[in-house]
Amino acid sequence: MNKSEITQFELDMLELLKNVMDPEIEINIVDLGLIYELYYDGDKKINIVLTFSTPACPLGETIKTNITETIKQKYSDFTVNIDVVFHPVWNSSMVSEEGKRILGL
Amino acid sequence: MNGLKTNNAPDSSVVVPHFVFGAFSLFVLAVLIILAGENLFDAYFNSKIIAITHVAVLGWATMIVFGALYQLIPIIFETKLYSEKLAKFTFWISVLSILFLTYSFWVGAFSTLVVYAALMLFFSILLFIVNIMLSYKNAALKNNASKFIITAVFWLFITALLGTLIALNFKYNFFTEVHLHYLKIHATLGLIGWFLLLIIGVGSTLLPMFLISHQLNHKKLSISYYLINSGLIGLVFNWFLFQIELITWVSWLLIVLGVLFFVSFIYDSYKKRMRKKLDVGMQYSKLAIGSVVAPVVISLIVLIGFNFEFELLSRITTLYGFSIIFGFITTLILGQTYKTLPFIIWLEKYKNLVGKTKTPLPREMYSEKIATIQFYLYFLFVLAIPIGLILNNEIVVKVGSYALLIVSILYNLNVIKIIFHKVKNIENE
Repeated sequence: MNKSEITQFELDMLELLKNVMDPEIEINIVDLGLIYELYYDGDKKINIVLTFSTPACPLGETIKTNITETIKQKYSDFTVNIDVVFHPVWNSSMVSEEGKRILGL
Repeated sequence: MNGLKTNNAPDSSVVVPHFVFGAFSLFVLAVLIILAGENLFDAYFNSKIIAITHVAVLGWATMIVFGALYQLIPIIFETKLYSEKLAKFTFWISVLSILFLTYSFWVGAFSTLVVYAALMLFFSILLFIVNIMLSYKNAALKNNASKFIITAVFWLFITALLGTLIALNFKYNFFTEVHLHYLKIHATLGLIGWFLLLIIGVGSTLLPMFLISHQLNHKKLSISYYLINSGLIGLVFNWFLFQIELITWVSWLLIVLGVLFFVSFIYDSYKKRMRKKLDVGMQYSKLAIGSVVAPVVISLIVLIGFNFEFELLSRITTLYGFSIIFGFITTLILGQTYKTLPFIIWLEKYKNLVGKTKTPLPREMYSEKIATIQFYLYFLFVLAIPIGLILNNEIVVKVGSYALLIVSILYNLNVIKIIFHKVKNIENE
């Protein structure tokens, strides 16, 4: 996450998104560092800037669906907006300590 | 949103039958190798070895490659497959013609049945090529991988055309040279032009993706592409027109260098991988890439000749085909099945359930224990057959043949387990 100030609600949201796994790498997308930005505008709208481990990721759509569904399970009246970017290119420095432990880095 | 085209993925009913028929063919292949018995020691162009080779390259390898390619086109070309209906029709025509061709070779009906089977197969390959080329026309992404794939498809066309002409020649006898001369070109085009180029194209996308490695030198792939194709063009023109030994050697060297550039690309990817632990699928892939050295060495021995007696040289030539078909192609397919098929089925069964319920991981859809036992038995097979052939020892070849039979049964068990996976409703577990 690049954002300097993060609210408690956004932290809770990130914790919730730890339930979303990359089924191939078998690490959740938060620890994998795939979420570049997460904003809550205070009006039931969540904006997420997301990347994938590779631009050709065949699971991209599934991960996006998983994010939306996971949020809607808890906040059914929320709108989720997901932007997928490939700049900067995802790399190992974006993986959390827990993620690095699982990957054996 | 570069690269996000998963909605373009074809229906699993297009792809899965190819894996089913491929798995069935692997079993048939193992049975035929056992039935062939001492024929395996005869000259590589006897009818039993030719039947076995065509089950291996068409029923097993090509059918799985067709299926995998239909699935990968949206990822590599970033476009939808041109026609799913055409792909399904092509599948059934291919199945019938492969069964027909195998039977015709096995019973040695060269001047009768083989001709009709070959024409039918040529037609099915043309349908496949049309579907791929029309998909490529709409491709949003044209990179190294797609260049390799399209060129491989071109060589498949030439291979199939020459194969059909050889079959027609059995009946109408219009060639100026002996059959073996054209058979050599047909085999080289198929193994290097079709399989090798296709594997490089697909492998250069999939292997770094599974290893999670970035910042690779794609120039190596470009160099590999030009080297292999120059070598192949050199070989074909030389064999058809000039038959100068020096051109054969230079062409061989160009192809070997091209392969080395690809291996070097994959090695970089392996060294830079973020995923340190390799699962069973990637263990197979590692073995396949490492085994590339075998056909290079064996082809060198065949080219030099060493004044070996004809029988031994003939068995070494069989070994050359074996090292590519089983050492490289089959090993890679066995491994990549465990990387791709579970995902295809997982996506089909769980894409509408993700986020709503807890879903299993794709690797949990097959037995890793079976896959691991299969890996070691396969290793036994690829060691036993060459040793048996070189030593002219039927018992060692039999051990290898039965190892392959068990491998094929284990592989089929896992493929069935994946395909018939039942959705587990473990909501809020």
